[in-house]
Amino acid sequence: MIRLPPQPGEVIDRSRPVEFTWNGRSVPGFEGDTIASALTAAGVRVVSRSMKYRRPRGYMTNDYWDPNALVQVGDDPNVRSAHRLISHGMVVEAQNVWPSLDNDLRAVTRLGSRFLTAGFYYKTFMRPRWLWPTYERVLATFSPGGRIDPDTPLRYHDKRYTHPDVVVAGGGPAGMAAAIAAAEAGAGVLLVEHCHRLGGHLLWGDGRDRALAAELAAGVAAAGVEVLTDSTVTGRYEDNWTAIVQRNHPVAVERLVKARAKVLVAAPGLIERPYVFAGNDKPGVMLSGAVRRFLNLYAVRPGTTAVVFTANPEGDAAAADLERAGADVTVVDARRGENIVRAYGGAKSVRGVEVTGGRKLECDLLVTATGWTAPTSLLNMSGDRPVYDEASARFFPSVPIANVLVTGGLAGDGSHEQLVEHARATGYLAATRARSVAYSLQAATTRSRPATGDRPAWPADSRPALPRHSHPPLFRSTTHGVVDFSEDVSSKDMVGAAEEGYDSVELLKRYTTATMGPSQGKLETVNTVAVLAEARGQTIGEVGTTTWRPPYAPITMGALGGRLFEPVRVSSIQPWHEAGGATFVLAGQWVRPDHYGDPAAEVLNTRENVGIMDVTPLGKLDLRGPDVPKLLSHLYTNKWMKLAVGSVRYGIMCTEDGVVFDDGVTGRLGDQHYMMTTTSSGAAAVWEWAENWLQTEHPGWQVHVTPVTSGFTSINVAGPESRTLMRRLVDGVDLDPESFRYMQVRTGTFAGIEGCFMWRIGFTGELSFELHVPAGYGLAAWEALLEAGEDLGVRPFGVEGQRIMRLEKGHFIVGQDTDGLTKVPGVGMSHLVKLDKKDFAGKPELAHALTDRSAPVLVAIQPTDPGIVPEEASQIVRPGTGEIIGRITSSRMSPTLGRSVCLGQVLPEASGPGSELTVLMIDGRRITARVLEHHAHFDPRGERARG
Amino acid sequence: MPTSIREGREPVAEHPAFKSPVRAAFVSYAGIPMEPAGPDAPLTLEDASSVTKTIVRAGPGTNARRQLSVAFGTSRTADGVLIAGQRPDEWILMGPADASRALVDGLDRAGHVSVIDGTHSRALFRLTGAAAASVLEKLCSLDWHDRMTPDRAAVSASVAQVTCDIVRDDLEDTPSYLISCDRSYGQYLFEVILDAGQEFGMAPLGAPAG
Repeated sequence: MIRLPPQPGEVIDRSRPVEFTWNGRSVPGFEGDTIASALTAAGVRVVSRSMKYRRPRGYMTNDYWDPNALVQVGDDPNVRSAHRLISHGMVVEAQNVWPSLDNDLRAVTRLGSRFLTAGFYYKTFMRPRWLWPTYERVLATFSPGGRIDPDTPLRYHDKRYTHPDVVVAGGGPAGMAAAIAAAEAGAGVLLVEHCHRLGGHLLWGDGRDRALAAELAAGVAAAGVEVLTDSTVTGRYEDNWTAIVQRNHPVAVERLVKARAKVLVAAPGLIERPYVFAGNDKPGVMLSGAVRRFLNLYAVRPGTTAVVFTANPEGDAAAADLERAGADVTVVDARRGENIVRAYGGAKSVRGVEVTGGRKLECDLLVTATGWTAPTSLLNMSGDRPVYDEASARFFPSVPIANVLVTGGLAGDGSHEQLVEHARATGYLAATRARSVAYSLQAATTRSRPATGDRPAWPADSRPALPRHSHPPLFRSTTHGVVDFSEDVSSKDMVGAAEEGYDSVELLKRYTTATMGPSQGKLETVNTVAVLAEARGQTIGEVGTTTWRPPYAPITMGALGGRLFEPVRVSSIQPWHEAGGATFVLAGQWVRPDHYGDPAAEVLNTRENVGIMDVTPLGKLDLRGPDVPKLLSHLYTNKWMKLAVGSVRYGIMCTEDGVVFDDGVTGRLGDQHYMMTTTSSGAAAVWEWAENWLQTEHPGWQVHVTPVTSGFTSINVAGPESRTLMRRLVDGVDLDPESFRYMQVRTGTFAGIEGCFMWRIGFTGELSFELHVPAGYGLAAWEALLEAGEDLGVRPFGVEGQRIMRLEKGHFIVGQDTDGLTKVPGVGMSHLVKLDKKDFAGKPELAHALTDRSAPVLVAIQPTDPGIVPEEASQIVRPGTGEIIGRITSSRMSPTLGRSVCLGQVLPEASGPGSELTVLMIDGRRITARVLEHHAHFDPRGERARG
Repeated sequence: MPTSIREGREPVAEHPAFKSPVRAAFVSYAGIPMEPAGPDAPLTLEDASSVTKTIVRAGPGTNARRQLSVAFGTSRTADGVLIAGQRPDEWILMGPADASRALVDGLDRAGHVSVIDGTHSRALFRLTGAAAASVLEKLCSLDWHDRMTPDRAAVSASVAQVTCDIVRDDLEDTPSYLISCDRSYGQYLFEVILDAGQEFGMAPLGAPAG
């Protein structure tokens, strides 16, 4: 194995040496080398171990699909080393070998290989069941997946959505010619090639091939085609939604391109098929394409004494290339009836091959060229069931698909000229069909440029068919060998499985796991079918193939995940919260101050002086129109037809099954103008709920619902001094208790800011104003409150302080103190259900719920030991039996009362005031608690709030 | 007893207390500080949140609808105010406060017509440059081709998982998009767009509004 002198088509840059490590050893190479070419040039033959039997493996196909080429590069497992280019300092290791690649002790499994046939796993490890955890640990060490360091920092993955007229999958001669013709016909074209450069098999061909590749590549550039190299079309979905993984993005590690192609051109070329014979997985057994790529792209000769078993011109060319490179070559020609029987030699290298008749030929390189697999995946994903053509020994498309066109080797054979002509006709057809699709899209989309002129006619497919060259059907020799190299499945395994009754190809696949490894059927599907056909005495056409599903090539989780978008919402006061040392809590998408250091002190200050809280996330819906009262009456369970201008009312909303869905207050700001507030988490759902009723059930109601949650910065000003503080800043509103009473709303000017509204309500139970300021001025309003109230002891309080105060007051929170079954009576609000209304959401169910005495109800609970705070969700159990009769829904230590305060749901029989309850603590202790008379632990008559 | 919110307001950019949802120091989503660019930069993102935004909703058959004269999915400019047909019964007016108010004052309110100030509830950014559509392609699944989203087109879509209204409003021959979202998402969206534009050399333009 040597690096040859410069070759005419080589892609390495000899002026730029690159050094990397392989299993800790330094290896030289050149820029442009793959890991495979550099390792082979350095004399490395064994690069991996097979999955089941740990057999040493070397490069076989020397391309993206090589099943033996998976290595660990740094923290990346499963890197395809015959595709990945080397870079300076790259750390490459064999993966899943123990203790080393040269001596993998798990190779003892080979001794038992006669017992490790298909189904061994299912038959052996299912009993005894109690041993499964042990089996699992041992089997996990055989997992072929490489390793990942969980501490690896997140890397930048990306997504892109694009809508090209034509996507061409495959950048070989046909793909390039189709892309050029489509672009010349006016289409926007995206050309996707999974290798590092355009050209396909022309690149490792002769001078004429390379000249054509260069000419077509120049044509692609001139035609303005967008080219993605080192990228794979991994799937085609409904409506030509095409998934492309781009691996060579300048910024992102990988990018998933979601292309909505008007027409997809499938030009993936053909994939060379391995031959099944004894010893076919020994290092040094290679396909003809692998050898030609080593020789002609990388100037590496992978052996010195070669036997070439050929059935086609590509195999002949490999033999000629090897001879030119100075190797001793013996040709075994299938077209003359010759065949190879078995490869022999040590486990780590082939030393010779036995041919028909018993003759043995010594070699260190055994090359096979036995035919091609048509990678029809994109067609199968488009609904086609390709059919087998016996004469050419491969599958072809069976039915035309309107927006998926096929060209290149998938469509047939022929000279360069014939293939390019077919591809150009395909590109032109794709462009003209795309034009027709574009017209329809434009005509159907309001924002688009109006479609002008007549709809372009749907062009018929008048392309001349490509010829099909005959090829001998070569799948398996007279011996058994490996069929699926990724999964270590042999033809013998398959024959055995067929004898056991797994005689359908879909069953055989699942039983043996053939075609289920990283090559995803590219190399082994047709051989699998051929072996099964032989075992059943049928033809390949009769057996059929397994189903080709996306992804075409394995895809990383990072590519699927794409860029991590985590939208967060902040209020206008956020800069102050950050400067003020707040500890934040994420509530839905809202970033909210949980507290500013001491929530208990925040509570006491609010109860004694005045506190301010940023309650901007409170949902706010602006309602306008003459029919707003009808909408409110329908959404809430109570009455709304006579709410006076300037008043505010509390209401509960239920879903149609009577379950509490949201609550809040709505105020009437003007004759036909209302402001609804919802819970912070329910804002979006309530808007949707309101629109749903308006648009589907009551389209005649004249109501405009506009979400304005973020349009107003909302500040709760609470505490005995809140009125004094508000008086210092409010203009145009009489704040006197008699003029602006509890549950009323006023609009006015605050701190010089016009367009504010405020209402006298609050969750804390204190004298309280909820102030709503146009959000652009929210920060100014907050700062004005702090400045004006300094002598009053004003301090901010956070979500935690609010939660404590509302619990002291016994106010429930929808979703915390209620669950997916809680109806209005369950929260003690039956008086808000007005069954004499004609209709409202949830009415029939609530009519029943009002008389139901079996559902849990919400009660205030006080533990006997005032120092114990049971965890939220602690179960309430019946003392004797331990039967669960409820749970603690909210619990805190109350700084105001100096004892724990709780709300909980219990069954009605245990809900009476004074009832003794047993609470099961998380640590297993059982404590006693008592049901209180009111939900409110503090100020049950509500005198402070009404002050 | 004043109970109605005033419709229209003073030119907000001139009000000293107005604050944009975007912080004064520009940072990308990945946390990279970004230097503001000059107006000649090839790809820019500008905070225009202080522009007066008015939401007009008008039911079928109203005169206001005829006066606005903008079909759903399109937009036009009248006296310096951009009128976008954002939803079938909803228009968003963006422009100077005085001109916006004049336009709104001239609307016939007969029938089911609502006028709501959206200045404070929406963040507004202008993305400008030849590569602007390439930036949007990374964040939004719509087709930005000239054929499907020409100059003057108005759409609503998810941008980086935030619901946005987008109006294509080219500056002479340079593609330009006005992107508005709920104010609370403003800082996040600004950072995300800056980040997406890095590979195309995007820079923030000017200073945040207010």
